[in-house]
Amino acid sequence: MALRGHETIDHAADMGIRGWGRTPAEAFEEVASAMFEIVVNGRGLAPSREIRISREGDDLTGLLIEFLNGCISEADVSGTVLVEVTIGVLGERNGKWYVEATALGVPVADARDRLLVEVKAAARYGASVLEREPGAWVARCVVDL
Amino acid sequence: MARVEVKKVHDYLWEIPKSGEMNVPGRIYADQESIEFLLAEEKSKEWDALLQVRNVACLPGIQKASLAMADIHPGYGFPIGGVGAFDLDAGVVAIAGVGFDINCGVRTMVVGLTRGEVEKRREEIADALFRIVPAGIGSTGSLKLTMKEIDEVLLRGAPYVVERGYEAPEDLAFVEEGGVVEGADPSCVSAMAKERQFKQVGTLGSGNHYLEVQYVETVYDEKAASAYGIAPGTVLVSIHTGSRALGHQIGMDYQSVLQRASEKYKIPVRETELVAAPIRSPEGERYIAAVKAGINCAFANRQAIAHLVRKAFRSVFGLDGRDVRTLYEVGHNNLKFERHLVNGLEKELLVHRKGATRAFGPGSALVPERYRAVGQPVLVGGTMGTSSYILVGTERGMEETFGSAVHGAGRRKSRKQALREYRGEAIIKKLAAQGITVRVHSKPGVAEEAPGAYKDVDNVVAIMEGAGINRRVVRLKPIACIKG
Repeated sequence: MALRGHETIDHAADMGIRGWGRTPAEAFEEVASAMFEIVVNGRGLAPSREIRISREGDDLTGLLIEFLNGCISEADVSGTVLVEVTIGVLGERNGKWYVEATALGVPVADARDRLLVEVKAAARYGASVLEREPGAWVARCVVDL
Repeated sequence: MARVEVKKVHDYLWEIPKSGEMNVPGRIYADQESIEFLLAEEKSKEWDALLQVRNVACLPGIQKASLAMADIHPGYGFPIGGVGAFDLDAGVVAIAGVGFDINCGVRTMVVGLTRGEVEKRREEIADALFRIVPAGIGSTGSLKLTMKEIDEVLLRGAPYVVERGYEAPEDLAFVEEGGVVEGADPSCVSAMAKERQFKQVGTLGSGNHYLEVQYVETVYDEKAASAYGIAPGTVLVSIHTGSRALGHQIGMDYQSVLQRASEKYKIPVRETELVAAPIRSPEGERYIAAVKAGINCAFANRQAIAHLVRKAFRSVFGLDGRDVRTLYEVGHNNLKFERHLVNGLEKELLVHRKGATRAFGPGSALVPERYRAVGQPVLVGGTMGTSSYILVGTERGMEETFGSAVHGAGRRKSRKQALREYRGEAIIKKLAAQGITVRVHSKPGVAEEAPGAYKDVDNVVAIMEGAGINRRVVRLKPIACIKG
């Protein structure tokens, strides 16, 4: 298995997504990429917009869901489809986990012929962020379509 | 090793007996084949619906049984097709019992044209609906609202949209609750939710949301069909959508609120998504007020789309708006305060229906007067290549299921499996050969929603009829389908 990557997973009604990497931040970036690929065929699209996403969570798994839902909400409100995200900071302070990220994308109108399916939300059901072995993090959840 | 044991009650009903932490039994409407399918999933899949029925049965204050209609499949915490009713003092409100698409539902309208007239011009009407009704990712509605006016939508629902010129006022008598529920509180809805929605009122969405032009193929119950004003060959249009981004955001926003409430009030969490708050707690009351705002938003959304559907029929056929009348509208992802009999006594309950339709039987004061003698129409979506149904609620359904019904066929194949097996282009061609015109905003989306990915809707409604819970009134066949 590559050091980092992502995939979709079978789910009865919706879609499971999984991302892995050497750090929680890489796993978050990858699982977000899996979600973006459900929404748009972004291959070859040149990002022209930048969106900042800052979220908090009670634990790493809670943070993952807040982060993915933050991507969905911020993209929707700005009329953007996202194609990639870079985590700037991911850490813990005062008992809360937090993430600051920059997502790149294009206006919905510029990707009209590449749009696939809308993601309503990332669900906590079946979600986890785990270090399977030292330096091998896996983040996963199900998205409601 | 099965985690859930079931026993047969009769040919169409199975029970998970009350045991351990369960407060009530679980009851699943299914035939032998369906229950075997569910049991196989229960043994082999990480996500399974039967375990969810059992987990819901463990929630505090649940009454009579944790129920699953015949279109049951795995959801998030609650199964899709799940119904749970709770005592107002001892019970809880569970976010999983509503889901992210608050008051997703169906409006069905009767068109004053013959089947032949519409079939001759099905390509034109499909194109007009596709052009006039905004759908797909990022679409915006024609109803221009300010951020302040979105609060009016949340408070006043469909009547507000009618006031804004999205006709017709006479629709409202045939919309569940008259198109507005009391007790919505826009202050319980986040600014993000409102900001996402204020441009989206009057949009269809994507995924399994659709518009479908249909005709009555078979009449099973002439008395009810006559009360509904439909007969063989009657043309209808069905709108399937919900509260759009506002509902999704309410779900996101309150997930962590109810998770903290579960900890605070010591409500055991058996699945991460099955979090809850006491109905009479500040957290529960705020969530319920937000859901009611979402319910009103969905009513407003379908009213705005109904207006656009009329516009499409006017543009093709020159019909007056009154030639497209609302037969009924009802949601299937809802919370409702309702009065039901429990142990022989009528009491007010909070009923959760997650992918289940309210189905009130004959005589209910909440059924429009025109339909009261026969019972409320229950609108059941099929797939774009098979059938849809209009059912009617029964007295037995009122007793056993708090007046509930199925909401659709229910998925049988995962989206990934559907994408592996079907191609959107091929499905569209195949349906065209059957006389069904399809217009889509996303071809891969069509593959995911392929008719073969769903259970046999004929069988699903037959199970409910066999159990005496709902009765078939008519079966509908598609003429044209517009997918979001």
